[in-house]
Amino acid sequence: MGPARRRWLTALLIPLALMLAVMTASVRAGATVSLPPKTPDELVSMMTHTPVRALSGTVQQTAGLGLPAVPTLGPGTVPGAAPALEFLTGTHTARVYVDGPAKARIQIMDALAERDLVVNQHQVWFYNSADNSATHVSGGTEPATPQEATPAPVPVPTPGTMANHFLTAIKADTRMTVGPSSTIAGRTAYRLDLAPGGADTLVDSVGIDVDSETGLPLAVEVKAKGQTDPAYTLAYTDLSLSAPDAGLFDFTPPQGASITEKALPAKPTPASSAVPPSPTGKLSHPNLTVTGQGWSAIVALPAGSVPSSITANPTYAQVMQPVPGGHALTTSLVNVLVLDDGRVFAGMVPLDRLQSAAAAQ
Amino acid sequence: MSRVERGRTKGSGDTAGSPEAGPNSGRASVAWPLLASELSVLFRRVRTWAMLAALAAVPVLIAVAVKLSSRPTAPGRGPLFLDRISQNGLFVAVTALVVCVPLFLPLTVGVVAGDTLAGEASIGTLRYLLLAPTGRTRLLLVKYAGAVAFCCAATATVAAAGALAGVVFFPVGPVTLLSGETVSVGEAAVRSLLIAAYATVSLIGLSAIGLLISTMTDVPVGAMAATIVLAVVSQVLDTLPQMDWLHPWLFSHHWVGFADLLRQPISWASFGDNLLLQGGYIAVCGALAYANFSNKDVLS
Repeated sequence: MGPARRRWLTALLIPLALMLAVMTASVRAGATVSLPPKTPDELVSMMTHTPVRALSGTVQQTAGLGLPAVPTLGPGTVPGAAPALEFLTGTHTARVYVDGPAKARIQIMDALAERDLVVNQHQVWFYNSADNSATHVSGGTEPATPQEATPAPVPVPTPGTMANHFLTAIKADTRMTVGPSSTIAGRTAYRLDLAPGGADTLVDSVGIDVDSETGLPLAVEVKAKGQTDPAYTLAYTDLSLSAPDAGLFDFTPPQGASITEKALPAKPTPASSAVPPSPTGKLSHPNLTVTGQGWSAIVALPAGSVPSSITANPTYAQVMQPVPGGHALTTSLVNVLVLDDGRVFAGMVPLDRLQSAAAAQ
Repeated sequence: MSRVERGRTKGSGDTAGSPEAGPNSGRASVAWPLLASELSVLFRRVRTWAMLAALAAVPVLIAVAVKLSSRPTAPGRGPLFLDRISQNGLFVAVTALVVCVPLFLPLTVGVVAGDTLAGEASIGTLRYLLLAPTGRTRLLLVKYAGAVAFCCAATATVAAAGALAGVVFFPVGPVTLLSGETVSVGEAAVRSLLIAAYATVSLIGLSAIGLLISTMTDVPVGAMAATIVLAVVSQVLDTLPQMDWLHPWLFSHHWVGFADLLRQPISWASFGDNLLLQGGYIAVCGALAYANFSNKDVLS
């Protein structure tokens, strides 16, 4: 072996070693861990009785709903203009800080920008760094919770709220099994698989990863029928269960920010807990009605529910396809039918079921 | 050949053909003068100063343009923080770094890194450099150190010129972060320095790529152009959603991640990811550059 060849071999060892290290890391990340066996009911009980009241972590949401991916840079992107549609594609990262039921902060980390939702007792602030605007929601006698008092849709909920939505909304008609355990955000987790019993939903299965120690849901993964990759995942990439710095929840809008004051809606609607969790952000609309139940529930909004700011958005025309009597957003997991008179029907069901529900009213 | 005579031909003996030969003792004493001479050559060149001056002009131009423009910039338009410069001069440095990171900084670093060995080869001085008992590996390391030194100088120039222009043209006060929190001038200055450090880290991987390309050719312009083109191609690929499997491996993937340093609390994740990624590029390109350069027939 000549010196030339020897030097090349030495040099190639380094890329090879790096490749090995990367592969080992990825194999170890996906490896199953062995935990004492638990039944699905025990896992549900763990989740509902989780002692976790405070946490700080990083949450990553990935949506692969079969929509055309929108470039993240360049012309055609409207930053912050269509939050509901934006979160249907690609990956988004947010930092979540929770301290008890009355204090929470969510930081959606955009490229070179950030959107903040700060909830502290009766005070709710929404801040957008892209246009330096702040929205203040005050009032209400009871402490606000992030679900109820959201001035703008919170498109990145935590895996915990997602898992609760699934468990409260879809009790009937579901087969629960325990899947292989894994490691998520450095913590060992049980896997609870929910499969819909009926055939008239687009959901193939929902996987919830439950922290083996505290019962906190660490990740939620939704698979759509006829799609191998998960249609929607929401998972902690980093998690600490210690109480976050109290100063994080004291928000003072910066000087020069444009501030909008809003009053809290008088009474949060009880129907909101029965809504299937759709990432479109229509979770807390006061006038919605729900028909059907479980996986095939259809949410309906009365006429005039869609503000023209959404329909006038160029992204709206890109993702909505015209159907008789209106427009439809069809994804592999959720379908949304927006009629010309402003009525909206949405659900994790095929589009023709939405159309028949619209015709029935 | 005056460059070679300036402190580089210390010692004697022909090690050019067999870089691994010879005892290690005595080499360390050669490396530091070699590095010192490399740096003095680099920073005495008119070209280096011209590039640094061009970089310094970016924040000054931004500041002057904002100062002269009659109507205020709408929030959300233009590069990061452009709308807030007129209220707070400290944003000039950050905005200038945002503007420079995609093109201007890679451009200048590509010129320096691509020139490292190909430049010496093209004017026939590489042979003389190797006459000194330094060894090719050591020469490679010194050349890379020179390129990294330029990366530091380039980002520091942008940050310093930005801070200076901001202080001269605009009022200075507490700074609003992306999270909506306001921090003092002192902490804002520390964060500007962190951003400059982040931009430097982003560029050292590109320097390693430039060094590797520079070992492959005797035409410095070719190496420079190839390095710059790679930087642009990498950034274009990074914006295509169809290539998202490739994105984490692109050396430019974390280049704009310095925004995480402007959050409250600071998110160090992207800084760590960037460091790891650039380290990987340095290891791979450095190893390949070593193999290629130590086997190279140096004819000129």
